[in-house]
Amino acid sequence: MLSYLIRRILMLIPVFLAVSVVIFSILHFIPGDPIDNLLKPGSPPDARAQMEARYGLDKPLPVQYGIWLSKVVQGDLGTAIVARRPVTDLIATALPHSLWLGGLALLFSSVVGIVLGVVAALNKDGWPDKMIMGGVLVGSTMPSFWLGLLLILAFSVWLGWFPVSGARGWNSLVLPVLTIGLGGTALVARITRVSMIEAAGRDFVALLHAKGLSPLRIQLRHVLRQALIPVITILALRIGWILGGAVTVEVVFARPGLGTLLIKSLGQHDYPVVQACLLMLAMAVMLGTLLGDILQAAMDPRVRAALE
Amino acid sequence: MTFTFRKSLLSATISLTTLLAAQGVWAQEAVFVMAGNEVGAPTYNPIKATMLNTASGLLFDRLVSQAADLSYHPWLAESWEEAPDGMSWTFHLKEGVTFHNGEPFNAEAVKAWIELFKTTPSDNTYMAEAIASVEVVDDHTVKFVMSRPEPNLLYNLSSTFMSVVEAKSFTALGDDYGVTEVYGTGPFKLESFTIGQETVLVRNDDYVWASPLAKNHGPAKMERVTFREIPEDSTAFLELKTGGVDMLMSVPPDLTAEIVKEPNLTVVTLPGADVWYMPINVTKAPFDDIRVREAAAKAINQEEILASVFGGVGTTADTFLISALPESKVPESSKIKYDPARANALLDEAGWTMGPDGVRTKDGQPLKVSLWTQSDSIFRRLTEVVQAQLKAVGIEAEITTFDSSTIRDQYKTGEQQLAVRSYNWDNADIVDWFFGGDRLGYPNVSMFNDPKAEELRAAAMTGAKNMEERIANFTAYHDYVLTQFPMAPIYQPVQAMAYNHDRLSVPEKIDAPSFGSALFMDIEVKE
Repeated sequence: MLSYLIRRILMLIPVFLAVSVVIFSILHFIPGDPIDNLLKPGSPPDARAQMEARYGLDKPLPVQYGIWLSKVVQGDLGTAIVARRPVTDLIATALPHSLWLGGLALLFSSVVGIVLGVVAALNKDGWPDKMIMGGVLVGSTMPSFWLGLLLILAFSVWLGWFPVSGARGWNSLVLPVLTIGLGGTALVARITRVSMIEAAGRDFVALLHAKGLSPLRIQLRHVLRQALIPVITILALRIGWILGGAVTVEVVFARPGLGTLLIKSLGQHDYPVVQACLLMLAMAVMLGTLLGDILQAAMDPRVRAALE
Repeated sequence: MTFTFRKSLLSATISLTTLLAAQGVWAQEAVFVMAGNEVGAPTYNPIKATMLNTASGLLFDRLVSQAADLSYHPWLAESWEEAPDGMSWTFHLKEGVTFHNGEPFNAEAVKAWIELFKTTPSDNTYMAEAIASVEVVDDHTVKFVMSRPEPNLLYNLSSTFMSVVEAKSFTALGDDYGVTEVYGTGPFKLESFTIGQETVLVRNDDYVWASPLAKNHGPAKMERVTFREIPEDSTAFLELKTGGVDMLMSVPPDLTAEIVKEPNLTVVTLPGADVWYMPINVTKAPFDDIRVREAAAKAINQEEILASVFGGVGTTADTFLISALPESKVPESSKIKYDPARANALLDEAGWTMGPDGVRTKDGQPLKVSLWTQSDSIFRRLTEVVQAQLKAVGIEAEITTFDSSTIRDQYKTGEQQLAVRSYNWDNADIVDWFFGGDRLGYPNVSMFNDPKAEELRAAAMTGAKNMEERIANFTAYHDYVLTQFPMAPIYQPVQAMAYNHDRLSVPEKIDAPSFGSALFMDIEVKE
């Protein structure tokens, strides 16, 4: 188990390097550059050359990449070109907001998704199943940007229960958490349902029935425990996606997070900031995947046995 | 039992009072939403910043203020004299002014600030580049000794980047200046700043030195103002509608119609600093023929566009500069206005004859050109109208749409023929920026490189000793550029803001080029 862990963590290094190359090159191949946003009419004709030299943009791309990477591995994300502040400061201000939003959304979608999935599985093909699965289909296909605006209209403009936007107090978190959480709920509910139904068909369940245990007890204590293994793996994988999925939702609800920072900096071609934001999102996905694998290994005796 | 109940009631009252006090219940308190393009401004450090927002204009004052007609007026400087040879400027400073940290504002403070401005590594340094040194004449008089005449000095001094900062705290705070603490002389002090989220300011009770452009010279009427940053326009509108905020500092044209429908909201406009125009690439046939350029320019019906695309809000443009600038006052004959008869006659003269399908031809070739635009919906709507207007004189334009961030790189290829675009700038040096022969492609989308224009350009940019000469030289340069038809002016929008008139009382007339300090001095919360 330990050697498996070490191997998995070591494997993250080449993945990290590959991701960093992709992030760096995509960004620099997008037309436009930060200097276009900095040059003002009235500035002297050699201003562009001076700025390129000041921000190290005059060096060949591979050299720029090398400098950036060597700083990143030392924990130095550089200084924002347009924002003129250490990128670490910008990320440190933004990240907690995104983590709260993403964490609560993940919690919401896990709890509600598992409950809905169980209810649907217990009533397979009955009306609760059809209603839940229908609702889930709508929820998972609705763009979060639009869902966010609809929720604002309903709960802030008409009912006046929650603030329209901002990041003051717990009540400003409710609508954005719902917006992100509803999409995740759909996925969790579907997987819980399918894996409950699948687990219920296994031999050990027939044995438990033969032993005379109550059907509800079998479903909730034994079948659910089996069925949760893939659900937990999926949830761990979603950690990274939830941070990424918060990008547009943060903009709609005017929340200062990684997403708002990313969108703003992308528009200004502020390379160091965009690179750092994308790196954070990619790391979240990588760590989520690692966590999912480890949890699966820990929970599933078959996987554990295969490893040893 | 009764005792416990009373006690808990008492403690509840006490904690409620403390809570309210902690929340800061001010009678004169209001919430503003910053303009969308100001969202994410990362610092209130005017010397280093690449972008500054409205709140920055309330923390600091400047030596010189600008009125709605872009004329210059006193502020921290009560008066000034420019030497006839342009080699020095003397400023007489207002007395009794102090910075937020108690330091006095005087000649030494101005000298220290200018020295900081010149020596701090920044992209703004060029604004003070012509100031060689600052001499303290007496406690309230400074003399700027120039390395060359800088007739644009008052413009630079009225810019937010040249907000007067207190030098000692600037040096002591280093990178924290403008982020955690900031000391100016402005009508408000910084209480808190959360980047990307909100900035809270409290009134500077000592403030009695507002620019003469505001009715109230100080202190401000509002005691506490909060600026929120909301990137999404529709969210900002819903906040205003539900009373979550009291004023939006900027309203996009498509939301204005929604806002005026609301009974408690009012929209206020000021002339803008934008000009919408159609650049014409003078190097690409058929536009290498000045007659075809003039015809295309005079095919544009500005009045029709103002009415049909912009709902009559704003004004038409007939020069390259916003009409508030003195350099826009060119002879009537140089102004570019809709003249379909002249357009048709010129095209006939250039050998382009009208075909049966409404498209002109010459030597069997149809008069087909490309028309570039960017993807924002308002640009696409306008470009379609421009396309129809060109078609009316026999020019068939094919529209190509680019993402607004990639179109600049497309211009750099120099392949464009016609385009629809806009700029935002309130100084005549924008003519140099977009038509200077050494910036072909972008910003010089028109690829205009004309020897006579370059001569006039040099005279305008560096040949003037004082403001009057600069205005004369830039007017001549602008005038000549217009007569070469490297573009067709189209439209000048307004800047609009919206507020809740049940909550705020706002002066009807604002004598400033933008919604800044002069406006905030006069805003009052209705009680």
